[in-house]
Amino acid sequence: MASQPLAAAKATSFRLKRPQLAPFAPPVLLLGLWQLACASGLFPPQILVPPSEVAKALGGMAASGELQRHVADSLYRLLVGFAIGATAGMAFGVALALSRLIESVLSPIFHTLWQVPVIAFVPLMVMFLGIDEPFKIAVVAIAAFFPMALATFDGIRGVPRNWFDVAKVYRLTLLQLIRLILLPATVPAVLTGLRISLTRAWVVLVAAELLAADSGIGQMMEMGRQLFQIDVVLAGVVVSGLIGFLLDRGACWVESRATRWRTA
Amino acid sequence: MKNALSRSSVRLAIGLVAPLLLILWWQSQASGATATFAPPAAIASALAELLRSGDLVRDTLATLQRAFTGLTIGAPLGVAAGIAMGIWKPVDRLLGPLLHALRQVPMIGWLPLIGLWFGVGEGTELIVVSMSTFFPSMLNSHAGVAQVERRYVEVGGIYCFTTLQRIRFILLPAAMPLVLTGITQALAFAWISTIGSELLTGAGSGLGVAMQTAQVQQRLDVMLVVISVTAVLGFLINQLFRRLRQSLLRWQPAQP
Repeated sequence: MASQPLAAAKATSFRLKRPQLAPFAPPVLLLGLWQLACASGLFPPQILVPPSEVAKALGGMAASGELQRHVADSLYRLLVGFAIGATAGMAFGVALALSRLIESVLSPIFHTLWQVPVIAFVPLMVMFLGIDEPFKIAVVAIAAFFPMALATFDGIRGVPRNWFDVAKVYRLTLLQLIRLILLPATVPAVLTGLRISLTRAWVVLVAAELLAADSGIGQMMEMGRQLFQIDVVLAGVVVSGLIGFLLDRGACWVESRATRWRTA
Repeated sequence: MKNALSRSSVRLAIGLVAPLLLILWWQSQASGATATFAPPAAIASALAELLRSGDLVRDTLATLQRAFTGLTIGAPLGVAAGIAMGIWKPVDRLLGPLLHALRQVPMIGWLPLIGLWFGVGEGTELIVVSMSTFFPSMLNSHAGVAQVERRYVEVGGIYCFTTLQRIRFILLPAAMPLVLTGITQALAFAWISTIGSELLTGAGSGLGVAMQTAQVQQRLDVMLVVISVTAVLGFLINQLFRRLRQSLLRWQPAQP
């Protein structure tokens, strides 16, 4: 993005137009081919529906409020679970990095659990929590917890040793140490951790909703599959991709805004 | 205190405290009235039972085979696509936006669609696993080729390298660390998506299928055995590949 004004200054406006449009060509071309393939009758409508049908399905679901309900339910779970998981992960990462005792007690079990794909916990959690809201929030929280804890831990461990010595010279309390030194020094690592855990939480949430849910984007797709409504399934793919993209972009934007001072 | 903590034997002993406490707490919960918790002893006997019947070995082999088949399909395609996009700008312009759009959909989210197309079974699972290994390989290979220093390429220009020679002698070796990083990531993704797709489709045999069955049968002991196997194998595969990567990149100066 930042290089665009530069490119604009170098290129004449005539030359600039084509490279800017180029990225849109393949998707448009693909959509066109897709529509044509469906119109030619090569694929039965049970297998592939044209993009116009997908758009119609999206429009229909939006008009009936069904789409908004699924999206809202998914986003609510994501938000609550992520808030819990990321906060806990951050606190855990700080504790693990600051205290050697806590590290030696808890890091083996942490590193073992971290190896397990979060999705493998899903059947276990269904057994304990059922398939209601607490289950989905817990899945999201666990998915967000591990990358956040690791990023925070790495961020604090990356702080140069002598900064701690300076803190000791100034006799900073633990709170002051966190606020004045650790927080500013670890912001970039923590923000990257937030972004990773946000996108990962979204992926895991969709998977959990596919497995067991009564609403949400994942459940919408799974219902569509069971009822052979391919337009609904494709609409779900589009919506979940779009939400994933927006989450990642939003987090990227926050990350670059918050760390602006670093490059200055 | 500090000296004691830096001794590895002491650290190991302290590291065992939390798991031991957990097991003790677990045992005390299990001996209570509620039967949801399976006592650790029951888990050990479930492991023995699963090993004797051969189910565990069969499921593990099925999952491993699926993950590696998916990896051998998806990762080379991803590396090829990433390198092609890194070398030829037009390819990047044409394929980049499309691939980045497809990448945004959670991989497991493709399962219902692919399940509709190819039926619930082996093929669907393999496609999802291959797709999930494709993207990390592609992204890292692309970055690897893109960050090759210009002067290396210029030296190639002086020697009048053909495109193939340029790829073989300059771009590939220089991009190798990131390509291998991509494949390492792809390996982790393959493992996760195999378990995930097995859980969701529940077809054939595999660790995910075993987990799903255990959930339906309310066999917590079996489930915990399967989860532990998943964790241990995931860890071992990662370690193995890290070793492999180190020996492949011996010639490189120390990695940051």
